[in-house]
This record gives sequence, structure tokens and C-alpha cells, in this order.
Amino acid sequence: MENFNVDTLVIGGGIAGMQAALDLADQGFQTALVDHEPTIGGKMITLSKVFPTLDCCSCITTPKMSSVAHHPNIQLLTYCDLQSIQESDSGFRVAIVQKPRYVDAHKCTGCRKCEYECPILIPNPYDRGLGAYHAIRVPFSTAVPQTAVLDMDNCILCGKCEKVCPTQAVTFTQKPETFEVQTRTIVLASGFELTPLEAKKEYGGGLLHNVIDPLMMERFLAPTGPYGRVLRPGDGKEPTSIAYVQCAGSRDQSLGVEYCSRVCCMYAIKQAMLISGALPMAEITIYYMDIRTFGKGYEQFYQNAQAMGVEFIRGKVAAIHEDDQQNPVVKVELTEDGRVVERTHDLVVLSLGMVPSPGSAGILELPLGDDKFISVPAPNARPCHTTRPGIFVTGTAMGPMDIVDSIISASSAAAATSAYIRAHQNGQASPKPQEEAVYA
Amino acid sequence: MSDEQVSNVSRGEMLKSLREMHAASVEQTQALLREQKQMQQSICQIIRETPKTVPEIAAEIGKPSHEVLWYIAAFKKYGIVVETGKCGDYPLYQRAKETQA
Ligand SMILES: Cc1cc2nc3c(=O)[nH]c(=O)nc-3n(C[C@H](O)[C@H](O)[C@H](O)COP(=O)(O)OP(=O)(O)OC[C@H]3O[C@@H](n4cnc5c(N)ncnc54)[C@H](O)[C@@H]3O)c2cc1C
Repeated sequence: MENFNVDTLVIGGGIAGMQAALDLADQGFQTALVDHEPTIGGKMITLSKVFPTLDCCSCITTPKMSSVAHHPNIQLLTYCDLQSIQESDSGFRVAIVQKPRYVDAHKCTGCRKCEYECPILIPNPYDRGLGAYHAIRVPFSTAVPQTAVLDMDNCILCGKCEKVCPTQAVTFTQKPETFEVQTRTIVLASGFELTPLEAKKEYGGGLLHNVIDPLMMERFLAPTGPYGRVLRPGDGKEPTSIAYVQCAGSRDQSLGVEYCSRVCCMYAIKQAMLISGALPMAEITIYYMDIRTFGKGYEQFYQNAQAMGVEFIRGKVAAIHEDDQQNPVVKVELTEDGRVVERTHDLVVLSLGMVPSPGSAGILELPLGDDKFISVPAPNARPCHTTRPGIFVTGTAMGPMDIVDSIISASSAAAATSAYIRAHQNGQASPKPQEEAVYA
Repeated sequence: MSDEQVSNVSRGEMLKSLREMHAASVEQTQALLREQKQMQQSICQIIRETPKTVPEIAAEIGKPSHEVLWYIAAFKKYGIVVETGKCGDYPLYQRAKETQA
């Protein structure tokens, strides 16, 4: 890979990064989009449907991924790690490592013949490990780019994939390649991760097979999911009683996650409605402290779920254990009368919170806020400006938010980036960001 | 030797030297492959004639049901196994070729 110059480098190809890149590229700015995964799409491409409209998620995300890949002003860099960043007269010099795919990306047509020939099965991270794919594979059917990637750590080098490849694209000798991108600006859109499933030991996550995280349930509800339907992972039973435990990874001092993750109430309600459609006989219970439906149309969505028969129980879940049929038993203190009761379900979903993706903040030398997300010193006046001029932040890299807000924030970051580039083209210096007082 | 034979020899040597270079992970993965082949054989044998649920398969081969489900999901994805109906709350699975024949 040759070194090259761009106006802006977007880090992260989730919905926020893709939107920021498209907005900037549409204005004529040369843009590079880098993601450390072999495909763009972020978390959104793994979701089933979106609240509050219940539109198919893939139907919204896939065309965006394709627009990014085909845009004449966007250079897409997948399966790449940021190595270092240096400030230069004209912006930043960013060293990037192209990780070896062991497949020549120019030759690979995405036919997947290698994948069908490969003998090794490994857990598929896009299905949260509950499904499998082969050691060489195209990550999923709508991945962008449609290029295979080989996991050398799980390869026996039998050579079957190389033999069957019609374009001789498999290259076992590929090495990591470092190249530099000279950019005037950077937009950081590195997204979020869920709080760990096993963080609250008393809930049994990671230990009890039928206590799962909400992205697993998204995959069960998606037609491309690991089972093609909703089954519990412990034994393949179609669940008839499903419970959600709200605030299982947020608003919790013991986890160091004191903030509300903003999307958990809504995704739990959404999933409950989708399960009602998929399994009409199933009973669905949501254990909650308070329901936060802050967005446009969200309160109505909540009311619709109640009308559909989803049971909302106000209380604090103290613990979850398993009976001898692998059924999770939820021990809950009811807010209404203070009673502690135990209720048995087939499957429990822990509504985990959002924490920032690790990695890029350190390389970019950006300070973090108390919540560990990227610090934004003037959130009201300049919501996407970081402490470093020329570096902007967007989407869930700056804090928990839903897709609508991620897109708005991406367009806002693109506008700020564009203004910054134009001001510098005209020789104007941008004012230094002033810190706003935050009243706790 | 023809050009093709020459390239086959050098390809074989290249793979051999790469296997030496990645000896530790290759050895580990070979063990995994043996385990996976064994599992595939056992599962497919049990559901060749009669469709079964995950707990039934698990009980017959003496493996945990969550592990069996992982394999069933993988085999279903790659067309080795098909779903053929339900028994109570559990889907039934059968070896694909037998059903299609
Ligand atoms: C279970 C669940 C269901 C949800 N359902 C809905 C819904 O129905 N409706 C809704 O509005 N919202 C929903 N959300 C919220 C939604 O998922 C997020 O708002 C959205 O995905 C955020 O997008 P993002 O681009 O900020 O982050 P991400 O989707 O996390 O994307 C970040 C990208 O950056 C890449 N990246 C990370 N670090 C680096 C690095 N160091 N270098 C290079 N690349 C990097 C990642 O690979 C990824 O591609 C849901 C969330 C959850 C957990």
C-alpha cells in the first residue's frame, strides 16, 4: 500500500463513521475510512430491526456500506490498525498497519469457495460466538468489502483453500504492511462495546448458558442469525418465557458505569415486541427500575408493547441462578410492596450498557471524561470538537446514543470538519475550544 | 517435469515451511480439527435415520447440549444438517443428504 494524502481520516466504519465519511465525501473532500475489522457496518449491521420504526436494520445499513465502498472520494481501509499519529504542518501523519488477510484483496471475488472447502470451524464473532464460520471466510453475506480473510491462528495450512480459489487469491505469505496517511483532519467514530456479560457475578452471565446479552438476542431475531430463529443457547429449546433485566450494566457504581446507557430500555422493548411476533405464545417480562423513552415516538412504542401484553415489573433483580432444567430463576425485590420473589424463565437477557471501544483514544492522545468516553470540552457550543484542534469525535465514541442521534452527531461532526478545513484553506485559525462548566 | 509439476513441488515446500513456522498454532488447530471431525461423525451418525432434538443428541453422545447446539448451528449453516420439524419445544434435526435423497 502506497502512502497517500486526504482531507480527512475517519476512524471507525459503524453508522456514525460511515455517515460522517459520506457527508464529507459528498462535499468533495478526499476521505479515508479506516476500520480494524475486515468489514464495515459496526454494531448496526448485526441488529435485527430498529426502534421505533421496526425497519429492517440490514436494509438501512447495507446500502450505506455499499455507498461508502463505491464513493469516488472515499478510500476504504478495512482490517487496518492505527499505529501512531504525529502532528505535522498540514495536519496529521497517521501510520496505519494493514493486517494480513492472507488473501489478495484485488483478486478475491468473494465467491466463498475457500470457505466451503476449509475444514476448521471457529466461533463467529458477528453471532456473538453462538454461530460458527470457517477459518477462511467472508465475514457475512453482506460484508463490505466482500473479501475473504484467513485466521492464521486457526489454520492447519492444508492448502485446500488455495487450491480451490479460482483467482489464485490466497496468499499464505502475506505480511503486515505499514503505510502513512497524511490528513488535515480526523473524525473519531470508534463506537462502543457492551459492558461485559460476566461483570455482575450475581446474574450468572457467562456462566449460565441461558443468560445472554442483548446483541445475542438481536442475532436470534435476525433472519441471518445462528439458529435462524429464537432458541435458547443452553439446549436449543424454543423459549416460552423470556425475561429482561434492565440496568444490568449501567447506573451501577459497583461496575464503574454510573451513567444511563440510554438505549437499553428501548432495545429491550423492541426485542420484546419482535419476540411476540416470532413466538406468539411466549410470555415476556421486563424487570426495570424506571423506563426511559426519551426520543420521538418512543413513549408510544413503550405503550404499544404494554398493549401487546409485555409484562413490566418494577423491581430490583438481586440474583439469578439456574434450576436443574437449565432454567434461569430470577430473584427480584418488587418496588411496589418490597416483597422478594423468585420467578423461573426459559431465557434471561441482561440489558447491558455501553462502554467506549478501547484503543484509539490513547493513540490520538485525547483525554477522557469521567465516563471514560472521549472528552468534549464544550458540549453545548461545539458538540463534536475534542481538545485537539482538527480532531473531531462522533457517535457512541463520545457517549451512549441511539442510531438517530449517531447519525445526527455524524453529520454535525462532518459539518465541523468541513468548516475547519475551509477555514484553514483560507488561512484562518480556528478558535481554541473553551471548556464549559459542567454542573453535576 | 512440467511447469505445473514444478509449481506443485514448490507449493508443497512452501506450505511445509509455513507449517514449521506456525508449528504451535498448527498443532493446536490439528487437535481441534480431530475433535470437530469426531463430533461431526457422532452427530451425523445419530441423526442419519431419525431426526432428533439437541438434548437427545447430547444425551446419546455424552456431550453438553450447548456444545451440540453450536455444532448443529454450524452444520445447518453449511448444509450438513436440516431442521425437519419439532418435538415439543425443541426443533428436530436430521442429516441433510439423507433427507434430500
Ligand atoms: C442490543 C442493542 C440493540 C440496539 N438497537 C437499536 C435500535 O433498534 N435503534 C437504535 O436507534 N439504536 C439501537 N442500538 C444502538 C446502536 O447500536 C448504536 O447507536 C450505533 O450502533 C452506534 O454506532 P457507532 O458508529 O457509534 O458505533 P459502532 O457501531 O460500535 O461502530 C464503531 C466502528 O468502529 C470500529 N472501530 C472501533 N475501534 C476502532 C479502532 N481503534 N480502529 C479502527 N476502527 C475501530 C469498529 O470496528 C466499528 O466498525 C442498539 C444497541 C444495542 C446494544
